[in-house]
Amino acid sequence: MVARIPILKLYNCLLISIQWELDDQTAIQFQEDLLYKIHETGAKGVVIDLTSIDVIDSFIAKVLGDVISMSKLMGAKVVLTGIQPAVAITLVELGIHLQEVLTALDLEKGLETLQRELGEKAWRTNPM
Amino acid sequence: MENESYVKIISEWDIVAARQLGRNVAKELEFGTVDQARITTAISELARNIYLYAGQGEIRIERINGRDKRGIKVIAADNGPGIQDIRKVMEDGYSTSGGLGAGLPGVKRLMDEFDITSSLEEGTIITTVKWTR
Amino acid sequence: MKKANQIVEYVQANREQILKEWSEKLILMDQQRIVPVISEKVYINICNDYINLLITSSTNQQKNNESMISEFTQKIVQLGWTLGFIMDSLSEFGKIVFFPMADKTSEKEQVEFILDYDRWISPINVAVYNQYAETWQRTVSLQKIALQELSAPLIPIFDNITIMPLVGTIDTERAKSIMENLLLGVVRHRAAVVLIDITGVPVVDTMVAHHIIQASEAVRLVGAKCIIVGIRPEIAQTIVNLGINLTQVMTKNSLQKGIEAALEMTNRKVISTED
Repeated sequence: MVARIPILKLYNCLLISIQWELDDQTAIQFQEDLLYKIHETGAKGVVIDLTSIDVIDSFIAKVLGDVISMSKLMGAKVVLTGIQPAVAITLVELGIHLQEVLTALDLEKGLETLQRELGEKAWRTNPM
Repeated sequence: MENESYVKIISEWDIVAARQLGRNVAKELEFGTVDQARITTAISELARNIYLYAGQGEIRIERINGRDKRGIKVIAADNGPGIQDIRKVMEDGYSTSGGLGAGLPGVKRLMDEFDITSSLEEGTIITTVKWTR
Repeated sequence: MKKANQIVEYVQANREQILKEWSEKLILMDQQRIVPVISEKVYINICNDYINLLITSSTNQQKNNESMISEFTQKIVQLGWTLGFIMDSLSEFGKIVFFPMADKTSEKEQVEFILDYDRWISPINVAVYNQYAETWQRTVSLQKIALQELSAPLIPIFDNITIMPLVGTIDTERAKSIMENLLLGVVRHRAAVVLIDITGVPVVDTMVAHHIIQASEAVRLVGAKCIIVGIRPEIAQTIVNLGINLTQVMTKNSLQKGIEAALEMTNRKVISTED
C-alpha cells in the first residue's frame, strides 16, 4: 500500500503539506490525487508546502514541475512554499531551474500570493 | 562505526535507502546542512541512474581521511550495458530517458571529486568524493 | 658512517674559517636583493646556528633534532628568505666544505665523498625545506580564515526588505558561503525582497556573474525576490562585452531605486509627511 499525502481545502484553494521524504511511488500517487481533487473541487489555487523536505533530486523536481503544468491545464495556479535553503542551493547547483514556478516563503505567504494572482473575486468564490 | 557500507539498488525503494544511508554518514562526518543536501541528492541521482539504466547495482559509501579533513566517498557500481559516449553524457542537458537530464554533470557540480569508467563488458563505476571544509 | 664523522670533525676544526667564508658568500648573494635590510651580524648568527645544528644532529637522536630544526627554520622564515635563497646557501656551504676536504684525493675518493656527504646532510636539509613549507602553509591558512571572516552581512531595512552589501572579490568558495548565508538570512528575516549591492565588488567576470545568477535563483526558490543594485558603468560594460546574460535577474542602477522597487513590490511607497 502506498502512503498518500493529505490534501486539504481552504476556500477555493487546495493546501498540501508534504511531511515526509517522497519516494517515487508516493510522488506519482500524489500527482494523481491532486489532479483528481482539482477536478472534483474546481479549485483555482494550490499551495504545496515543502518545509519538511530536505532532499529534492531531479526526479522529484520533475514530478513537481509536471504537477504544476498539469494543474495549469486544469485551470489552477500552484505556489511552492517553504523550500529549504539547502534544497534551493542544491537544485540551483544541479542545474534544475523550475522557472515559471511561483514560490513563497511559507504557507501564509503562499496563500497571499495566490490571492494576488487570482484576484479577490476568484479567491472567495466557491463554485460548488 | 564501520568505514564502509553499501546498499544494493534493485527496486525504487533502494534509492530511498541509499539516500538515508548517505544522509546518516554525512551527518556523522559533521557536514553542514547544505553539504548534507548536496551529498544526499548526488547519491539519489546516482542510485536512480543505476535503477533506470542498469537495472541493478550498488551504492557503496565510505568514510575517508585526507590531510586534516574527513570525507565521504560514494561509489556507484553496476554491471549494466555501459555508457557509450562518456563525453556526451557529461554534457549538460543530455538525457536518454526524458528526465530533466540533470544527471551526471549535476552530480559532478555537487561533489568535489568525480571519476567515471564505463565499458560494455564491465558496466559503469562512478566514484565521487566530498570533503569537509 | 666513517666519512660522516670525518666531515663533522673537519667542520668543527675549521669552524671559524668556514663561518667567515660562508657568511661572506651569503651577504654577497643577498646583496642582489633590492633593499639590503639585514645587518651582517644576522647572517653570521644564522650560519652559526646552522653549523651547530649539523654538529649536534650527528650526535643526537631524531627527536631533539626536530625541535632544533624547527627553531632554526622559524628564524629564517621570519627573515623573509625565499626557499630559493636558502637552497642556494646550503649548497654553498656544501661547496665550502667539500673543496678543501676533497683536495689531493683521487677522483674515485671524491665521488665516494660526495655520496657520503649527501647521505649525511640530505636528511637535515630536507627537514629544513619541509618545515619551511609547513610554516608557509600555516600562514596561508590563517590568512584564509581572516578573509572568510570578512563575511557579507544581511541587513533588514524595512519589514520584508533586506540588503546584502557585497565587498571584495568573490571566488567560488566565498560565493558558496555567501549564498548559504543569504538564503538562511532570507528565511530568518522573512524577507520578501532582498537587495544585493555589488558596488564593492571590484571585478565581475563570467564566474562572478554565474554565482550572482545562481544566488538570485536560489532566493527565488526559497520564496523571495532578488534585486541586484550597484552595477558600476565599467561592470555594465564588462558584462555586455563578455556576453553574460543577466536578463533573468532584476537589476536597478542605484540602491535608492532598488529600495523604491522593493517597496513597490511589497505594496508600499515612501511619502513625505509634510503634505
